[in-house]
Amino acid sequence: MLVELGHYALVLAFALTLVVSVVPLWGALNGDGRLMAVATPVSVTVFFLVLVSFAVLTGAYVASDFSVVNVYENSHSAKPLLFKITGVWGNHEGSMLLWVLILVFFGALVGVFGGNLPDDLRATTLAVQGWISAGFLLFMLATSNPFNRYENPPIEGNDLNPILQDIGLAIHPPLLYVGYVGFSITFSFAVAALILGRTDAAWARWVRPWTLLAWSFLTLGIAMGSYWAYYELGWGGWWFWDPVENASFMPWLAGTALLHSAIVMEKREALKVWTVLLAIFTFSLSLLGAFLVRSGVLTSVHAFATDPSRGVFILGLLCLFIGGSLSLFAWRAPMLKQGGLFAPISREGGLVLNNLFLTAATAAVLVGTLYPLVLDAITGEMISVGEPFFYLTFGPLMVPLLMAVPFGPILAWKRGDLLAASQRLYAAFGLALLMTLFTFWLWGMERVLAPLGVGLAVWVMAGAISEIVTRVKFFEIGPKRGFARLYGLPGSAWGTATAHFGIGVTVLGIVTSSAFQEEQVRTMRPGDTVNVSGYELTFDGSVPRRGPNFVEEVGHFTVREGGAFVAEMEPSKRVYTARQMPTTEAAIHTIGFSQVYVSLGERRNDGAVDVRAYYKPLITLIWIGCVIMALGAAFSMADRRLRVGAPKPAAKRKQSASVPAE
Amino acid sequence: MIFWILISALTALAALSVLVPLTRSRASVEEAAAQADAAVYKEQLAAIDRDLSDGLIDAEAAEAARTETARRLLSVHDRKDETRPAPLSKLRIRSVQLIALVALPAAALGLYLALGSPDLQDQPLAARLSAPAGEQSVELLVARVERHLAEDPEDGQGWAVIAPVYMRMGEPDSAARAYSNAIRILGPRPDWLTDMGEAMTVSNEGVITELARSAFQQAVDLEPTAVKPRFFLALALTQEGKTDDAINSWQTLLEGADPQAAWVPVARRELAGLTGETPELLPALRGPSQADVEAAGEMSDDDRQKMITTMVQGLAARIEANGGTVAEWGQLMRAYMVLGKRNEAFETYRRAEKVFAERPAELAKIKDAAVTLGLSGS
Repeated sequence: MLVELGHYALVLAFALTLVVSVVPLWGALNGDGRLMAVATPVSVTVFFLVLVSFAVLTGAYVASDFSVVNVYENSHSAKPLLFKITGVWGNHEGSMLLWVLILVFFGALVGVFGGNLPDDLRATTLAVQGWISAGFLLFMLATSNPFNRYENPPIEGNDLNPILQDIGLAIHPPLLYVGYVGFSITFSFAVAALILGRTDAAWARWVRPWTLLAWSFLTLGIAMGSYWAYYELGWGGWWFWDPVENASFMPWLAGTALLHSAIVMEKREALKVWTVLLAIFTFSLSLLGAFLVRSGVLTSVHAFATDPSRGVFILGLLCLFIGGSLSLFAWRAPMLKQGGLFAPISREGGLVLNNLFLTAATAAVLVGTLYPLVLDAITGEMISVGEPFFYLTFGPLMVPLLMAVPFGPILAWKRGDLLAASQRLYAAFGLALLMTLFTFWLWGMERVLAPLGVGLAVWVMAGAISEIVTRVKFFEIGPKRGFARLYGLPGSAWGTATAHFGIGVTVLGIVTSSAFQEEQVRTMRPGDTVNVSGYELTFDGSVPRRGPNFVEEVGHFTVREGGAFVAEMEPSKRVYTARQMPTTEAAIHTIGFSQVYVSLGERRNDGAVDVRAYYKPLITLIWIGCVIMALGAAFSMADRRLRVGAPKPAAKRKQSASVPAE
Repeated sequence: MIFWILISALTALAALSVLVPLTRSRASVEEAAAQADAAVYKEQLAAIDRDLSDGLIDAEAAEAARTETARRLLSVHDRKDETRPAPLSKLRIRSVQLIALVALPAAALGLYLALGSPDLQDQPLAARLSAPAGEQSVELLVARVERHLAEDPEDGQGWAVIAPVYMRMGEPDSAARAYSNAIRILGPRPDWLTDMGEAMTVSNEGVITELARSAFQQAVDLEPTAVKPRFFLALALTQEGKTDDAINSWQTLLEGADPQAAWVPVARRELAGLTGETPELLPALRGPSQADVEAAGEMSDDDRQKMITTMVQGLAARIEANGGTVAEWGQLMRAYMVLGKRNEAFETYRRAEKVFAERPAELAKIKDAAVTLGLSGS
């Protein structure tokens, strides 16, 4: 009964999104406040209905109700409870439901927290969000319904892909989806602005928190996915330029550009075309990612669905949303007259430069991702552009951008003084130079690029600190008043500096871990010792072990440094019994910011095992940097000025009180 | 019934979320919109003042920024004056009410009835497993026992109960495992040992492995008169090529056996295959008889060759006439190899492959024979 109730809730949610797609927009175009007022309560109800449906599906997973086809195909009664729950979105239909849940969640959020928005903008934005939700709900009901049933259910399920049976699945997709889908709300805002013809500074101000929210979650989602791949795939790599990774990275690049360009629009009413287009493109790239993953165009861990009808459906949605929004843009383009003027050397100019580099980088990744697919479709030739392509295109675009990052926040609006800005960055530059020379001294001249990379990372980090110091005038007014001013700095200033510092941290991690890592691939017998960067790893032998739904061969290693015990490590090879699928579980030991990484390869007949052992200096900084970036976004969101907002009229308060009563 | 009440409740909630806001008064709408815009620009003006007092911008820049923002603030008021409140439309409200009360429930219910299965109950596994045994299918009963054994793997009786069920369900691997658990926990019993050996043999497509053989041996040690394990031991000897021992075993086994027993014809056929004596009852492989072999021993090489060639021709003709069994094809291949006619042997292998192409189990045996003879690489 519950399962069917969940199914009905989903269908009802679809019918209700059709209502919210039309009624508030109709009201907004006719200035009818009663129709516009429908938007918020309906959006909240849609969220509630999808939540019911999601909870019901989760319940079916937990109770191993194999009369639900989706549960039978992706679960197993012996699976640990956590993986029963995460298994809900470890498959095509369930992840689609999570996608829609987050989509309507953002609609409800804008409804509830959008009290400071003008009614027509809020109503139209929610209507556009309604179109997107309706499109995806229709897609689910038509091609990927998670509530299909068996009359005579099987006894046992097919289990979940073992690679996905990991704590990573609990965290990575939800974070990533909040990011991906979060950009739908900026898309809706942009389309609403085009429909209503109001693209002004106030609009940019209202979009800001939503962009920041989506961006920070996307950052965390990508970082989490990268760390997951790093420890689960057993290759020691953390980024593979896999098309699916690129699909999440492209919206991130475009979203980063959007974030910056919206600042200019907010402060100066300039860069309107940039901002609106970037809002459209960012979500379009998210949709493209969804299409690539679910159409069967790609084969990878992420590609659960290989049904061509789904691909065609998503392609249709993609064309409708992207084509529709771009047509709307073409129609309204004359209205987007430029606001404030600015000189090339200015904060605005710096941000235009930032946009150019980021969009060029997005284009490079897009080409590298789509070209092999297009070539395969047209000529049937299978190629892989791989890492060299991205190093040659993406890398050179990032270096000048990173060099410019510290200048941006220090330049003045409208017309800046490059020389004055440079003077404020002397200290940062000196520190970067020092670190470069230090790295050269430490590692010699054999790797020329690596010390320069370290210098670049330090430059970005020190630049971010310089910005704060400059704003506070620490050295001019003394530490006591300095700290007081530090405390009084607006959240957005802290946000900028923190996020930029985070970039530097990530770059430092990338440079050191790839340039100075040491790798040992050996066939080891019990008792053998291998040395990686001064750590002696002794293979003590391996034992079989039984898990709830897998059997594994666990290797036992003792790590010593100069004879002193450091840690024990237990990498293993598992075979998941239901699918007879092997996986590699790497063992990772963290020392400071660096890691020792051991994974097992093939087992030889004579008891010897192939072992890959790495020492990866400062590698955790890659992900720590991402967390710092997301923290920066959180600081910006917490900016006190946000709360000033519009005074809430009495009528509105009454209405929001009536929502829970329904 | 509760189901339909809940569905009605959800539908009512959805309809209300549309209907209730329609009753709100519209007085504050325009005012609020303008306030929202103005608030942003007032906030910006405040930010400019703050930046100025912090010394981040100079007075000149602050003045310019203030002018710019003030202009935006003014345009908000202009826009507010432009937008005249639209006349209230009864039609709009009525049509939205109609959508909420009629179209929405009709669409949702219609679509659900087309897609859903309102009659199907939830079937969580735990509830299915605890249902009365009479209502449960064999699979479900097995799942129940499995669950019990997963919790209490030391219940030997449980393993003993489920083992023959596995065998009937065509899962000899699981059956063998279950028997071995039962034996481990409750101690060896000849019938369990024998059945375990049988399960292993079935799972290996008839080949008696060392493990299975020792199980049969143990069964015989416990109960020397048992027929079944001795039968399999004889079969094992045959498979190992210990012809004399095998003949002995078969003969002992057949002595005083009930001729009606199901295993007797098989045993006789096996025996015939080894000795060459064709029992009248049974069609069997016609290898060289004991006398023939002895005669061959006394013959000159040429004569021996000739005799083997004749036999091979006979075998080939028989296969030609009635299709031949796997064993006959294997024998022919082996015979050609003995005669040094590798090409013919290979040719025979190819033809056998075609004949058994549709029967994978037999094809596998042909391939095995070919690999043993060195006719095929893998």
